[in-house]
Amino acid sequence: MTDAILSLRGISKHFGGVKALTDVSLELERGKVVALVGDNGAGKSTLVKVMSGVHRPDSGKYIFEEREIQVSDPAAIADMGVQTVYQDLALCNNLDAVQNLFLGREMTGPWWTGFRLNRAEAERKARDVLKRLRLDSISLRRNVGAMSGGQRQNIAIARSILWEPKVVLLDEPTAALSHSAAEQVGALVRELASHGLAVLVISHDIHHFVLENTDRIEVLRLGRNAASFNSKEVTGEQVVNAMVGGNEAVNMAG
Amino acid sequence: MTVSDIKKQNITATAQPKRGLSERLGSELRFVPVAVGLLALFLFFSTQSDVFLTSRNLNNLLVQSTVTGIIALGLVFVLLVGEIDLSVAATSGVASVLMAQLVVEAGIPIPLAVAAGVLCGMVIGAISGRWITLIGVPSFVVTLGVGLLLNGVQLMLLPRTGRYNLLNTGVEKIAATNISGIWAWILVIGAIAVFALLRLSTLRARQRAELDASFTWGVILPVALVGVVLVGILLFLENLHGLPMPLIIFVGLLGVMTYVASETRFGLSLYAIGNNAEAARRAGIKVDRIKITAFAIAGGMAAFGGILAASRLLGVSVSSGGGIGGGALLLESIAAAVIGGVSLFGGRGMVVGALFGALIIATVSNGLNLMGVANEARLVVTGLLLVLAVSIDRGIERLAERS
Ligand SMILES: Nc1ncnc2c1ncn2[C@@H]1O[C@H](COP(=O)(O)OP(=O)(O)OP(=O)(O)O)[C@@H](O)[C@H]1O
Ligand SMILES: [Mg+2]
Repeated sequence: MTDAILSLRGISKHFGGVKALTDVSLELERGKVVALVGDNGAGKSTLVKVMSGVHRPDSGKYIFEEREIQVSDPAAIADMGVQTVYQDLALCNNLDAVQNLFLGREMTGPWWTGFRLNRAEAERKARDVLKRLRLDSISLRRNVGAMSGGQRQNIAIARSILWEPKVVLLDEPTAALSHSAAEQVGALVRELASHGLAVLVISHDIHHFVLENTDRIEVLRLGRNAASFNSKEVTGEQVVNAMVGGNEAVNMAG
Repeated sequence: MTVSDIKKQNITATAQPKRGLSERLGSELRFVPVAVGLLALFLFFSTQSDVFLTSRNLNNLLVQSTVTGIIALGLVFVLLVGEIDLSVAATSGVASVLMAQLVVEAGIPIPLAVAAGVLCGMVIGAISGRWITLIGVPSFVVTLGVGLLLNGVQLMLLPRTGRYNLLNTGVEKIAATNISGIWAWILVIGAIAVFALLRLSTLRARQRAELDASFTWGVILPVALVGVVLVGILLFLENLHGLPMPLIIFVGLLGVMTYVASETRFGLSLYAIGNNAEAARRAGIKVDRIKITAFAIAGGMAAFGGILAASRLLGVSVSSGGGIGGGALLLESIAAAVIGGVSLFGGRGMVVGALFGALIIATVSNGLNLMGVANEARLVVTGLLLVLAVSIDRGIERLAERS
């Protein structure tokens, strides 16, 4: 447990009458990929939004690097070293990969140049980062609108780690991807963990993506912790069973 | 996926993919189709009229395009963030009347009166922009209303005669001045030198960062192109009176604004917002502030265009700023930006588009005039050109998407 970098203890969150999360606990460790799975509406996205500071939990503890954090706003959480990639990616299709990677954090010259963009420096840095992540097949100067879904997803992930966070949260990175594109993303996720990051990834693709690319699987059901598995020692059926609950699920899956 | 798979993938795919022509046409070569169109129009009219290619006529044509061009130039900034400003023509009218009133009634020095006019335009733009971002109402409705409001203000500012005469006030000299001889050369060579220095510094930065950098493509060719065009214009107009001041101002503004839009953080934010405002906001860009600035730029440019028009026409009147509703001035300014490849949906287009669009509109009007074609036919042709330009633009975009 000493490796835990981010822990949630007994988190609850409700929206009006809807109990989205009840007494949920979760740990993320350095160098480990944790999958967060569950049926639609189980509370996965809500949990990620609590971790990224979008939602303030009603109760429970948020512990980062052994200190309790008062969740205030997303920017503070991001500065702390927790980056989130949402499903919509938030990329600008009319800009190239370099521009998207540095969007809002451009390197610029002095004021008398009108804060002239330091494009060359940005491109060099982007190239190095993509190389380190084994993403050198991505064209730096191409508009991301012209890229494949997998490449776009990977650019969004690469952007999140550009400023060296300690934790990366990915909400359904493979939802809209083909099998081979999802494999690219899986490779990147493992690569991030190998650099010592703690990674949380939400996915519905249990049989391929989750079992092949994660270390641990946390199951949410109806806003509660339902089960926790070691990815190497579990079958897809067992995970699905825990997601839906009860034996009828086994029949449905089987 | 196993480690060996990753390695394999890594080895087979390290080469940076080349960007195709259609993709380049969609971005940095975006101006090429319009430029080709403009060239075609020039060729066509030169075969139709002996007068067309004379210095005197080209001088007229260039000066004709400056007012529309400057207004379109400001409009580009608003279009880039995915908004529109339908009050630019009215803003130009009010600002020019204000300037005239300050000069004629209050005897205020011309530079101050001009500055006051431009400032007035910027404030109008900023207020519209603030209102649009604050309330979240569509910009075309707000600026339509602001335009009508300004038309009313313009009528109120004008004296009972409905006109301020600017002849012999000194204001007429702004448009009537020509720079010739050694000063014209200094100006042209200075402009080329600044451009060359910017290209060189870009090349140096790329070399320092150990990126691919080509002296031929990055410096020689662009500088040669700009040099040939500028020196060509100078040589052509030299034997007349030299370079007309409106043209110098237009090209100067074009240069500065191109730098702002393509080299600065503010410029990049415009493009980002125009494509995906939510992504820009999440990236930490102050979306509202950038939009308001864009509207202020459009207002300031419109005001300046109006003042230039007042100077050329030796006065301001009810019909300054295109008259009620903005008339042809408003429509041609929007058309110029759109013909120049600036998307009405935001995020796409270049500042030089305003130049090409304004030149195309002025060329059609000038050329058809020389051919003795009636005014109604001129409108028909300009309208068709607008539709054609947007269609070609859309076609290129489709090609770029497919690749
Ligand atoms: N902002 C909100 N306001 C009201 N209810 C919400 C809000 N966000 C989530 N909920 C509710 O909380 C519950 C959990 O939603 P959440 O989006 O976390 O599920 P999920 O596990 O991510 O589902 P999916 O797999 O469909 O993405 C749902 O009942 C949802 O309707
Ligand atoms: Mg969700």
